[in-house]
Amino acid sequence: MKRKQLHAYVFTFPSLFLTLVLGIYPIFWALRYMFFAYPGYGTPQFVGLDNFFRVARDAQFWQSVQNTFVYAAGKLVLTIPLSLILAVILNRALRGRHLLRAVYFLPTIFSASVMSIVFYIVFNSYNGILNQYLMKLGLASSPIDWLGAGNAMLTVIIIAVWGAVGNYMLLFLAGLQSIPDDVYEAASLDGVNPLQRLWHITIPMLGPVLQMVIMLAITVSLKGYESIMVLTEGGPFGKTEVMYLYLYKLFFPLTSEGSSVQNIGYGSAVGFTTALIVGLVTMIYFWISRKLNETY
Amino acid sequence: MVAISRGLTRTVLWIFLLATAGLMLFPIVVAILGSFKTNLEVTTGATLLPEVWQFGNYAHAWKQANFARFTWNSIYVSVFTTVGTLLITAMAAYAVDRVNFRGKRIYIVLQSFTLFISIGAVVLRPQFDLMVQLGLQKTLWGVIIILISAHAQIFFMMIGFFKGIPRELDEAALIDGCNFYSIFWRIILPLLRPALAVTALFTFRGAWNEYILPLVFSMTNPDLQTLPVGLANLRYGFGAASENQYMLAGACISILPLLVVYVFANRSFMQVNVGAVKG
Repeated sequence: MKRKQLHAYVFTFPSLFLTLVLGIYPIFWALRYMFFAYPGYGTPQFVGLDNFFRVARDAQFWQSVQNTFVYAAGKLVLTIPLSLILAVILNRALRGRHLLRAVYFLPTIFSASVMSIVFYIVFNSYNGILNQYLMKLGLASSPIDWLGAGNAMLTVIIIAVWGAVGNYMLLFLAGLQSIPDDVYEAASLDGVNPLQRLWHITIPMLGPVLQMVIMLAITVSLKGYESIMVLTEGGPFGKTEVMYLYLYKLFFPLTSEGSSVQNIGYGSAVGFTTALIVGLVTMIYFWISRKLNETY
Repeated sequence: MVAISRGLTRTVLWIFLLATAGLMLFPIVVAILGSFKTNLEVTTGATLLPEVWQFGNYAHAWKQANFARFTWNSIYVSVFTTVGTLLITAMAAYAVDRVNFRGKRIYIVLQSFTLFISIGAVVLRPQFDLMVQLGLQKTLWGVIIILISAHAQIFFMMIGFFKGIPRELDEAALIDGCNFYSIFWRIILPLLRPALAVTALFTFRGAWNEYILPLVFSMTNPDLQTLPVGLANLRYGFGAASENQYMLAGACISILPLLVVYVFANRSFMQVNVGAVKG
């Protein structure tokens, strides 16, 4: 028995070691530096809570927090209903449903950054592919400034929805398959129409799945910044700057933008604050959505 | 009357389904067809098919734009990350599922902790500094090791797979003279082959698509750029605005291998996606 324990330690050691050194240690590293003034060179100076006072006053940061909420809300409001509707339709015995599922899921397998380059060429304001088609079909008389200050956030949200719908559709499909058929049979005997069925049977029965999927969607959208970084770098004029992108720039300033300066101490404090915001939003969501988790 | 309205509903339903499918495929089709066009066609054409298929775009991207290097780096990182992650998580999952060792609870809590806490780019700095101390920042191994270290999700998937293999099998093998190690290598891993293949696909895709980590490592060392990094950097390259066709060819070099695998194994992609969330 002792021997078996030893074997178990040998087998978990590589995983444990890597997790401690590269997963846990960096968190404590940040927990320490958030109390220091440290631009990345020289000797770190202990400054107590100064970095946090600065976070509280940092208008640019709070703007990015606001942008994050707009981005996440926009993505959620479009993604969740669309993927739920697709899942409900494709859950039925429909010809070609397997092919359609595969098509809707396809965007999720590609790199967000690589697809953002493609979207950069598609949404380009002056000679972008989308504008060419819109003008050719007579849907727009002049090029639409998709990546300009007015539309950039919408464009970024559309791209995020494109990449996410297939994923959530699939999670909903898995949830739908756990709803027993006889519930629907009983409902159809009672003469329930498809919309009533969706609202009064499917969605309540899907409650716990819905709660989990929406929570996943919230955290993923709050944390996402890769695609925005490639597409707009947070611009123009910070209109698409989300909080995790702002954080990234404090550690690794982007080449084309002179405004951000590396600042490790302050960056750690911002990192702690963003993680706190995500945690807080998740908790509030759980409290609000607790009704969804009631089992029927 | 009922028949007509039912027919109408069907038509509307199909228009919705096909329009959505069209929107999903549009950027991918545009990227693939655009990669064979001239720059003028990409920027002003508004036609679907290229007038003359410019296969030379790929040769240019491959040689002049250095995509041969990026592709090799991507393959290197993805293969070793996949092998390493699978090995480490399978071993850990075997121990956790089969043995009641002291500290097991803490280990599991630790894994879930890394899954849920995210302080974003902050961790990249200490991770990078550690690799500098080990002298690994100048090779792709720095990237590979960090990617392997983020294995909590795969670990929980593995636990699910191991639970599916009855313990009676271990006991029978033990009586037949197998030990802890040979049960793992000779009995359990072969049984898990289909599950491992699907997990490998998932891990490989993650590493292949990773952008931020190789970006950070290649900032001072451009030789370490992988496909997503090299491609994104083309935006700042020589007259990027006039090189759309090469950017699309580069994007296709990254997406086509995944697309080909997806055509044959899309069920595996979808299966693992649902499994990954269930944990």
